[in-house]
Amino acid sequence: MKNTFARLSVIVSKINRQHVQLILAVLALAMLVLGISAPADGGLSPH
Amino acid sequence: MILLIALIAGLVVGLGRAGWQHRPYQAPTLQSTWLAFVAFFPQIVIAYLPATRHLLADWFASTVLLVSLVFFAVFAWQNRHIPGMPILLAGLVLNLTVITANGGWMPISPQTASRLTGSDVLGLASLGSRFGQKDILLLSQNMHFEFLADRFLLPDWIPYKVAFSLGDILVGTGIFWLLVHPSVKATMPPGERVHLDYI
Repeated sequence: MKNTFARLSVIVSKINRQHVQLILAVLALAMLVLGISAPADGGLSPH
Repeated sequence: MILLIALIAGLVVGLGRAGWQHRPYQAPTLQSTWLAFVAFFPQIVIAYLPATRHLLADWFASTVLLVSLVFFAVFAWQNRHIPGMPILLAGLVLNLTVITANGGWMPISPQTASRLTGSDVLGLASLGSRFGQKDILLLSQNMHFEFLADRFLLPDWIPYKVAFSLGDILVGTGIFWLLVHPSVKATMPPGERVHLDYI
């Protein structure tokens, strides 16, 4: 448990503001793309 | 989902170009990002979640979809200065046009829909009924702006089946371009931090 927390804190300390902004920007753009497009999805064909 | 591939591809290429040129990849500086989240949430309920998709009446769901698209249009317009966004906005306008003209859903012909499912869809669904997340089954002659409908298919040798519209092509092109070309010029000295205010 202690090791897990230690690893998590190392990971979190490496996340900076620009990473967060990039993630939020990409999320917003993903929502934009999914929201304004309307492809009809047939999925993977078994053939 | 196919357009998410364009988004991911644009991000990968953009990150690759930034790495190749030894500069940090700068995310696009977006205005009013909250609009995208607000616009997308109702579509989760009416289109993307199988458990809720058919809970609402079709007329209500189509109205919600149109309002959502208008919110997205405002968001895209406010960010029209970003490279690639005008192309994406053009795709949005085309999709909004054909969806509005066809009762609030993207029209797809039974022939195209049958190519997606591999079986005759009219044996399972009637004309005028919903198909997929945002589509409606209509005969080509009964569609308004048929050339803007979900009428394009990927080649048969690609196992993933999807029908898409001219608007979707522009949306995919726009999002790819937007993420490949960062908003900060490459001549900026490496290591110089940029203050990003996008909300």
